[in-house]
Amino acid sequence: MRQEIFSILLLTLKTASVATVCVAVPAILLGYALARHDFRGKEVVSASVGLPLVLPPTAVGFLLLRLFAVDGPLGRQTLGFDLHVLLNWRAAVLAAAVMSFPLVVRTARVTFEGINPRLEMMARTLGHSSFTTFFVYTLPLAKRGLLAGIILGFTRALGEFGATVTIAGNIPGRTQTLAAAIFSAQQVGDEGQAYVLMLVAIVIGFIAIISSELLSRNRPLRSRSWHGLAR
Amino acid sequence: MTASAPASAFQPLAVRVQLTLDRFNLAIDVTTHQQVTGIFGVSGAGKTSLLETICGLRRGAQGTICCGEEVWLDTANRTCVKPEQRHIGYVPQDGLLFPHKNVRQNLLSGSKRAMQNGHPLQETFELATEILELGSLLDRSVTTLSGGERQRVALGRAICSGPRLLLLDEPFASLDLALRRRLLPFLRRIRSEFQIPMLFVSHDPLEVQAVCDDLIVLKDGRTIAHGEPREVLRQVFTDPNIFSVAEQHGFENILPCRLIENNASTSRVRLGEQHQPHTESVELTAMKADARPGDLMLASIAANDIIIATHKPEGLSARNIIPARIVQLCSVGPIGFVGLVTAEVADNLPPLTIEITETSFIELGLQVGRQIFLVIKATSFRLYEGERRKSV
Repeated sequence: MRQEIFSILLLTLKTASVATVCVAVPAILLGYALARHDFRGKEVVSASVGLPLVLPPTAVGFLLLRLFAVDGPLGRQTLGFDLHVLLNWRAAVLAAAVMSFPLVVRTARVTFEGINPRLEMMARTLGHSSFTTFFVYTLPLAKRGLLAGIILGFTRALGEFGATVTIAGNIPGRTQTLAAAIFSAQQVGDEGQAYVLMLVAIVIGFIAIISSELLSRNRPLRSRSWHGLAR
Repeated sequence: MTASAPASAFQPLAVRVQLTLDRFNLAIDVTTHQQVTGIFGVSGAGKTSLLETICGLRRGAQGTICCGEEVWLDTANRTCVKPEQRHIGYVPQDGLLFPHKNVRQNLLSGSKRAMQNGHPLQETFELATEILELGSLLDRSVTTLSGGERQRVALGRAICSGPRLLLLDEPFASLDLALRRRLLPFLRRIRSEFQIPMLFVSHDPLEVQAVCDDLIVLKDGRTIAHGEPREVLRQVFTDPNIFSVAEQHGFENILPCRLIENNASTSRVRLGEQHQPHTESVELTAMKADARPGDLMLASIAANDIIIATHKPEGLSARNIIPARIVQLCSVGPIGFVGLVTAEVADNLPPLTIEITETSFIELGLQVGRQIFLVIKATSFRLYEGERRKSV
């Protein structure tokens, strides 16, 4: 049993990590674009990215299923080759990625919006191109918020259930993540297994939320500006 | 530069732009050859928008901006140089220090450009650190600095980036008055040590008179006066239509002077910047200043703190009674109840402006050319450090 729990945990962490890694860069760039630029259709982009947050996960799963089905717009018949993203481990990653993407985008956007754009302008007047400014000034300033967003996305990926069972199924040892395993254990009446898995989930979630909160707290207290004002 | 151009070592800055703002259109057409050009006006006159346009940070302006031979903006020819290629040192009101870097890193954040331009970075860094007294702050986090320290770092950072033009947008406006006066000498020393042309935005007549060689007054996006600072300020102050620009402060006479000696509770100063007494030199007694004999000071006397006497008064407690000659008379204010007298105390000194009521104006029978005496209490004028002393 211990062996089984360990492999479920490993698979879950692997799925969530790969999904987070895939999501991080595009989500941060999109968050930056939404925070700093005005472009045509910005609201539409923002709303469609946010959809997975409000839709039932099974609806998202079904949408993905239709999208990647053999005769779907991204299926074998249309593309001429098979992406192999249904009912396997990649499907679990895909589902987790789609569900956590909006969370990372939102946190990144809020983080970038919280950075004074005049600091970036200042960097420009000091001779830095907009490209250098982004990497040397904006990113380091946003570091904490972005990390917090990534952790949040990671936890969302860890707990993903609805979309995952829809497109990846619930195959023990292949696509069965922690969330699906708890559901299965409870369904077959194996309460002991369900308890242990639930405790594992609580521990992971706890660690993730605490680290995310520590990061999103702007700066340690000692460096707040009242220090300067008192002089 | 052609031979007929004004004898100035500074590259001309020519700004001719139009920009639509929320409340009015900014329409500026000025050329300056001086080292420090002031832009004076109340808040909302378009000063910051103008600076941001010159920096290249604000888009939408139509027209041309040329710095020396370089064209930064020419909308007719679709030229718009990026802000990072204009080689500007920008010091905003709020400093805008980078919170993720310490003081040293902030000072050096434009160092790459300085080196590319062949600027002597090391020397500049050392001199700026010394003048601005930043030596002890270098390893501090900028979030722990006081307001005055932050602005000094911001000024140092701009200088260390090897700029061709410094843009100072009310660098001391967020500080209290006493601190502003203490920072002024730093700016004057920067001005004399680094021969960088500057645009200095301010709504403080004293700062403007203390630092600028040339002054542009903006009101509602338009240039309403341009010329020698003292002259321009007097002009602005005496024009009833634009009086409100200066009225919030009242007019202050700012005179450079040298400290001669310190007594128990007073200091003697000699008006003018020269070290040696002049045949017509005027000496004044002021409240004791925190400075040493020989130091350059700025004396500030409010126009309404000076009394005019037609005969030399006797038995007065006021410490200073100076003979003077009226050079100009005018009445100002929407109702015309305040008269302004401009009086000359010596040939080589800028004239003083005195504010009096209409009644005194008539009763004293003041006329241009008349000899009068100016009565000034030692307590009614303030001495400010004129230039940061070189530390030995």
